[in-house]
Amino acid sequence: MTATSLPPNSAPRVRVRAGRLVLYTVLVALTGLFIGPFGWLILSGLKTPAELAASPVHWLPTRVQWHNFADAFNLIDFLGYARNSLIIALIYATLVTLSSAWVGFGFARLEAPGKKTLFGVLIGSMMLPQMITLLPTYLIFAKLGMVDTYWPWVFWGLAAAPYLVFLFRQFFAGLPRELEEAAIVDGCGYGTIFWRIFLPQSWPVLSASFVIAFTWSWGDYIAPQLLLSTDKSTLAVAVMTTYVTSAGTPVANLQAAASVMYVVPILLIFLIAQRGFVAGMSTTGLK
Amino acid sequence: MTVDQIPVTGSTGPAARADRTTPAQRPRLSMTERRHRAFYLFTSPWIIGFLLLTVVPMAYALWLSFTTYDGISPHWRYVGFGNYTELFSDPQTWNSLGRTGLFALTSVPLSIIAGLALAVLVNRPVKARGLFRTLLYLPAVVPPVGVGLTFKALFDQNSGAANGVITLFGFDALGWLADPYARYVLLMSVLWAAGNVMIISLAGLQDVPRELHEAARIDGASAWRTFRSITVPLLSPVLLFQTVTGVIASVQTIMPLLLSPDGTTAGVTALPQSNYLYMMHVFSQYFALGRYGYASALLWVLFVLILIVTGLIFRFTSGVVFYNVDPEAKK
Repeated sequence: MTATSLPPNSAPRVRVRAGRLVLYTVLVALTGLFIGPFGWLILSGLKTPAELAASPVHWLPTRVQWHNFADAFNLIDFLGYARNSLIIALIYATLVTLSSAWVGFGFARLEAPGKKTLFGVLIGSMMLPQMITLLPTYLIFAKLGMVDTYWPWVFWGLAAAPYLVFLFRQFFAGLPRELEEAAIVDGCGYGTIFWRIFLPQSWPVLSASFVIAFTWSWGDYIAPQLLLSTDKSTLAVAVMTTYVTSAGTPVANLQAAASVMYVVPILLIFLIAQRGFVAGMSTTGLK
Repeated sequence: MTVDQIPVTGSTGPAARADRTTPAQRPRLSMTERRHRAFYLFTSPWIIGFLLLTVVPMAYALWLSFTTYDGISPHWRYVGFGNYTELFSDPQTWNSLGRTGLFALTSVPLSIIAGLALAVLVNRPVKARGLFRTLLYLPAVVPPVGVGLTFKALFDQNSGAANGVITLFGFDALGWLADPYARYVLLMSVLWAAGNVMIISLAGLQDVPRELHEAARIDGASAWRTFRSITVPLLSPVLLFQTVTGVIASVQTIMPLLLSPDGTTAGVTALPQSNYLYMMHVFSQYFALGRYGYASALLWVLFVLILIVTGLIFRFTSGVVFYNVDPEAKK
């Protein structure tokens, strides 16, 4: 760059720098706006009931009430509910991942009359409003005596989830044909091909699917609220409904602390899995 | 969980064994037949599940919608279209439907605009871009119960930060979670998850070929013009998908319940009017009153409405949405 070309460039350079400043300010402000609400929940969980009841608002706790988290843990059987949530989420996520991979393989690698129609139904069923179908399903489960059991989640798991089927279908469809051709010549059945050849290839999708299904189940509120009695219910239901005094008034500070403890595992799972996703994406991008 | 420990359940019986003996002159037809049979074997979990857990319940709801079934009384009876005439003449139906429509018409476009704006913003070459993306997306991962309790804490009349801020500016504290403001809290709780649209649009933005932007710059197009004429058309399939799923999600949202003082399904009766959406009306008929027959009629009306609205969205966008790549054509 010569000296003569500098003057015309310097004015835009100042403008660019000012533009950068504005950009960073906007980004930081927006990020604060998005993270702020959760920060407020944590703060609320660190205050005393008197501070929460006071008006005008107490911005910061006078003394940080760390013991609120322990109290929230002990006021209800937090661990018991967390275990219920975990069991249901593990049952559902494991089954639905395997069944969706199985179905996805069918849609990706096999042909049969009616496949196009079925695939259309599959895609269409992704758009079905689940809350609408849940209510009559609940009545049927109640009739079959499956209320207060984990059977509904077993069935939902076995039935595969259209969104995950689609995920697996896209992945399997992208694998080379030669992968199963050799196995077919060797006389392997499609079941063997699926378990021995395709499934071991699909760790990125398997883990993605498992994490997605796990967070669905962990976050689900209405189904466990309808299908399970209080002590068999999940953490989502317990956090929402059980933080009340015997008189029925909510214990806001402990509830806030409890909801932080309910949400944080999901955020952690996402943050851990996100790294895996990025790695998976970059490896497939290199191919 | 290792794959090898899972028993092989799907090996195709006699055909597979026959193939093993004569791999060289495998007859073409049996091969096709085998693939057909395998296809149905593989897709059967979903087919059976779809029939038993979606089609049967919806048919059951359709049958119930013609009855007075309430789960308790043995004297329920068939009433033909009685429930439907009742619901169409009930102002509650229309009011809650109107609120739901308004909610969808505001929350869906606002989420998409916000998400798209965020995507464009974090697609620029800034430092710590990944961190910004993660933090902006994080609220979208928070489960509904967490969102409800967060916004209840934020907009509490006494302890909420929202009232803290507005009283700093000399305004009176508001009852955010009651009428008429509850609807705005609901809207904000949805917008909190705008990171969803951001992440999906971001993937789309990165697919926009660089040459297109360069060509536009050489032609002297402004940033806004480039955005409108290149970015938006190329993102249109993503935006259409977001619109459809957004509408469906907003119609069946349970967020009003989670923002109410009592979050149980029995608590629907205590909702502020402005958040008494159609789905909440269904809940109140279903759970508070146990009118399964009548509520099933409400459900079916909503179901048909969703199908119509979705169909209309696809129809009106068919000429506008630009499909760059055919996913089927990609090997």
